[in-house]
Order: sequence, then C-alpha cells, then structure tokens
Amino acid sequence: MTDFISLFDPISIVLITIGGILIGMGVHFIPVGGAPAAMAQATGVGTGTVQLAAGAGLTGLISAGFMYHMLGNDGLTNIELIQVMVSGAVGAMIMIAVTMFIGQLVYVYCVGVPPVSAKVDKDPITGDIQDIYVSKGTEGHGIPTVSFVSGVIGGLLGGTGGSLIYAILMNAGYPESIRSIAGPSPEIVALAGIFSAGVFYVNAVVASYNIGGTIEGFHDPKFKRVPKAIICCLIASLLCAAIAVPIMGGLI
Amino acid sequence: MTDPIIIDMGIVALTGALATIGGAAEDLESDVGSQSNPNSQVQLAAQMDFPHRIFNKAISGEPPAYGLWCASSAVVAAVLLESMSVFFALAIGSLVGAILLGMFSVTAHMGRTASQSRFKQPLYMDMVIGHVPAIMAHGYVAVFCIISFSYIMNTIMGHPFPLPLLALFWGVTAGAIGSSTGDVHYGAEREFQNQPFGCGLNASFSGNIVRKGEVGLRNGMDNVWACAKFGGPVTGLALGLTVFLDNWRSTIFTGDNAEWFAIIAGLIIVVVLILLNRIVELNGRKAYGPYKDEEEGGATA
Repeated sequence: MTDFISLFDPISIVLITIGGILIGMGVHFIPVGGAPAAMAQATGVGTGTVQLAAGAGLTGLISAGFMYHMLGNDGLTNIELIQVMVSGAVGAMIMIAVTMFIGQLVYVYCVGVPPVSAKVDKDPITGDIQDIYVSKGTEGHGIPTVSFVSGVIGGLLGGTGGSLIYAILMNAGYPESIRSIAGPSPEIVALAGIFSAGVFYVNAVVASYNIGGTIEGFHDPKFKRVPKAIICCLIASLLCAAIAVPIMGGLI
Repeated sequence: MTDPIIIDMGIVALTGALATIGGAAEDLESDVGSQSNPNSQVQLAAQMDFPHRIFNKAISGEPPAYGLWCASSAVVAAVLLESMSVFFALAIGSLVGAILLGMFSVTAHMGRTASQSRFKQPLYMDMVIGHVPAIMAHGYVAVFCIISFSYIMNTIMGHPFPLPLLALFWGVTAGAIGSSTGDVHYGAEREFQNQPFGCGLNASFSGNIVRKGEVGLRNGMDNVWACAKFGGPVTGLALGLTVFLDNWRSTIFTGDNAEWFAIIAGLIIVVVLILLNRIVELNGRKAYGPYKDEEEGGATA
C-alpha cells in the first residue's frame, strides 16, 4: 500500500502552485469589458473575466494534452515539459487572438466604433492618441493594439500555467514505475484534465475578484493590484495542489 | 497512393467546418433566448419602465452553460457508442442536450420574468411556446457539431482526453467565443438601433432597448433574424478558426522537431493576427473618429 505521507510530493505541489500563480497573473492581462463592453460602453472583449480566461486556458489544455500524448507516454524530460507548456501557451494565445480579432471586426464593421482605450491618452505601443476617439458617455470601446498585445500575453501566461499543472498531475498519476507502451489509462488523463481545469477556474475566479469587472490590460491602473492576486492565488493553488497531488498519486 | 497528410488535412478541415457551423448556431441560440452580457439591458429595460417581449433566460454565462450541454450530450453519446452507430449515438446524445436546454430555457425565463413582476413585466406564454423550439433547434445544431468534432479529435486524431472531457472543454470555449464576438452585434447594435450609428452606447441610454419590431413588437425571433446576418457567422468563423488553426499546426508537421515547428507556426499565426488587428484598428479610426464635436452636439458618425 502506498505510504500516505509520500503522496504529498513537495516538488509537484510547488510546481502546481507556480502554475496557479501564472494563471492568476494571466487573467489580469486579458482585456475584458464585461457586460458594458458588449454594448460598446467599455474597452475590451465583451464578456466576463473568468469566461474568456477559462475559454483560452482550456483550449491551451487541449493543445497541451495533445503534446503530452505525443511526448510524454514514456516520461517527460525537462525539454519535453517545456514543449508541453509552450504548446499549451500557444493554443491559448491562438484562441484569445482569434477571439479578440473577430470581436474587433464586430466592433469596427458592425457596431461602428474605433478601438480606443479610455485609461491612457496615448496607446503605449502604437503612440496613437486615444482620448478624442472615445465616444460620448462611454469608457472606450473595441480592442486597441495595447489591449490586444496584453491579451495575447495573458493567453501565454494562462496557457503555460494550465499546461504545467496538467503535466505535473499526469506525472503524479502516471509515474515511471507504471509506464507502459499502451500509455496512461483514460481515467488518469480525465482526472488530470478535470483537476487542471478546476485549478484554472479557482485562480481565474480569485483573480477576477481582484479585477472587479473590467480591465483593459497591463496599461490599466487596476493592473497594479497584481501583487495581491499573486498572494491569493498562491494560497488557493497551494490548497488545490495539496488535494490534487495525493489523489492523483493515490490512483496508482 | 494518397499521401496520409492529405487525409489528415481533410480531417482537420472537417473539424474546422463543424466548429464553424456549431459556433454560428451557438451564437444564434443565445440571440433567440437572449443569454449572455447583452441580456443585462433586457433585464434592465423592465426596471427602467420599458416592458418588452424579448425572451430572457440568462441565469448563467454561456461558457458554463454550453460546457454542461456538451458534456451531458457527450456522456450520453459515449454510452450509446458501445451499442449503436456513431451517427445515431451523437444525434441522440445531442437530442438529450437540446432537451436539457429546453428545460433550462423555460425555467430560467419564467423565473427571471417572475422576479420582475414588481416592475410590471408580463410573462407571455405565446413567447415561451414560440421561442423554446427555436432555442432547442439552434442548441441542437451547436451541440451536435461540437460533440462531433470532439469525437473526431478523440477517435480519429487520437487526442488522449475522453469524449465527455473534450466536449466539456470545447463547449466552454464555444460559449466564451460566442459571448465575446457575436453577442456584441446583438448588444451594441441590434438592441440599440434607436441610437446613432458610429459610436458606443451612451451609458445614459442603458435599458432603453428597441422594443418595436419590423412588424409588431420585437421579440427574440426578430433579433436572431438580424444577428444571423453578421454576429452568428463571425462567431462561427472565430470558433472554426480556433479549432482549425490549433489542429492544423498540431497535425501538419511530421518527423524530427515537429513539436517545435508546431509551436513556431502557432506563434507566427498569433503575430499575423496582431498585425491584422492593427490594420482593422487603423480602418476604424479613419472611418469613425475623432469625436471632436462631442461638446457641441453629440458624436459625429
């Protein structure tokens, strides 16, 4: 019988906590305007923080799952772990970039508003003047370049964190001692996937409380609240990891 | 002999096509039933003394709702797959998802409307009877397409996640994309056609949604008719592109270092999208701004 204490692998717990912190930080980069943005009343994507972050993160998780399946059935080397993480990050970046781009098409060609930020006078990346393009009674609209780039960085961090958690949980549930040519059983893959999504949601929700509805990206004054989110996500992820790692390890 | 990569690309294209149809149906379903962020205005309208005939069922965000429909349908389909053909298993699984969606719609609409009785918002039974089949039909198409491409990814492309988990994840993603893209057409344009074109909605007009239709009073059917011309198709394009591009870069490269090529291809796609976004941004700024006359007499279009 497996020793109960040995199930609490400290390295796995630390890495999952790091993954959670990356997710919490990533959520702050994603430009979300919530319900006001859906009426072109605020800058950003017209949906909730958690919704968009989770959509991007889960797409990244699907990409990471694919990559892990290609590389990790005989165990992951360090470089392969990085490949899984980057693959997840790229998957999340593609989802968020496509969503923001198509959202932008709707703002510009359907609603008829120029993409503009109301939080800065000039776009820090392109240098475009912003304030005179904000239409009356709104807090900006659309997704200006700075918010778009910020969103892509958010996808990068969220996707990396989610894939790191998935890879570590797979390692915990499918260690070297039980590896075979057939690969991990679907139950282990499913449980690792569900736990990764769970840790993702926990951190996205914690971070969205810190954001309080809307954020335009890294140029938004609310972005200064990130340190608080890091502490909260550290505690939340540590608790999640302390539950998830022994359960995955106990499956063996 | 056919090169295997051609068959692989055909499969990737099929997943993209299914995702495109599924994404469009997902957005249109949320327009008939008014679920998602623009519904805040529908909810607010009654409170601002504008009673209306718009169906209102937003008791949950679209991503978790679609995660639930798709995962439930995929669980039924996965069980049925053991005893019947793939097509029927997926079709019956989707039917279960559509029935769940119908039940959700009726209870959510009645609950939401009942909670607004103090604002004199009536509950129109003809709307319940008329809208719920349309909601279920759009939901059925969306769920069928999503669980179908999840099945293809799982069985043919060899994705390790089981079918219900893949369907859950893609359902959440489809909901996230639908509420981020197509719903902006419904919220910022269709709900507020009484406001000037070429500017965002002035916050002081919140709740003053268009309540008169092309014929009679406007309802969810009128909204989906308009949104099917732009919001729905572009949502389909967004989900289709996400599924296609992600699967394409994972499949096209074979041999040594295929993993790195897949990663680099993905990064190039992202950079191209950033540049395309910049072009659209410049077009928008050229066409609609600046709003110099704001102080004198409202925004110029």
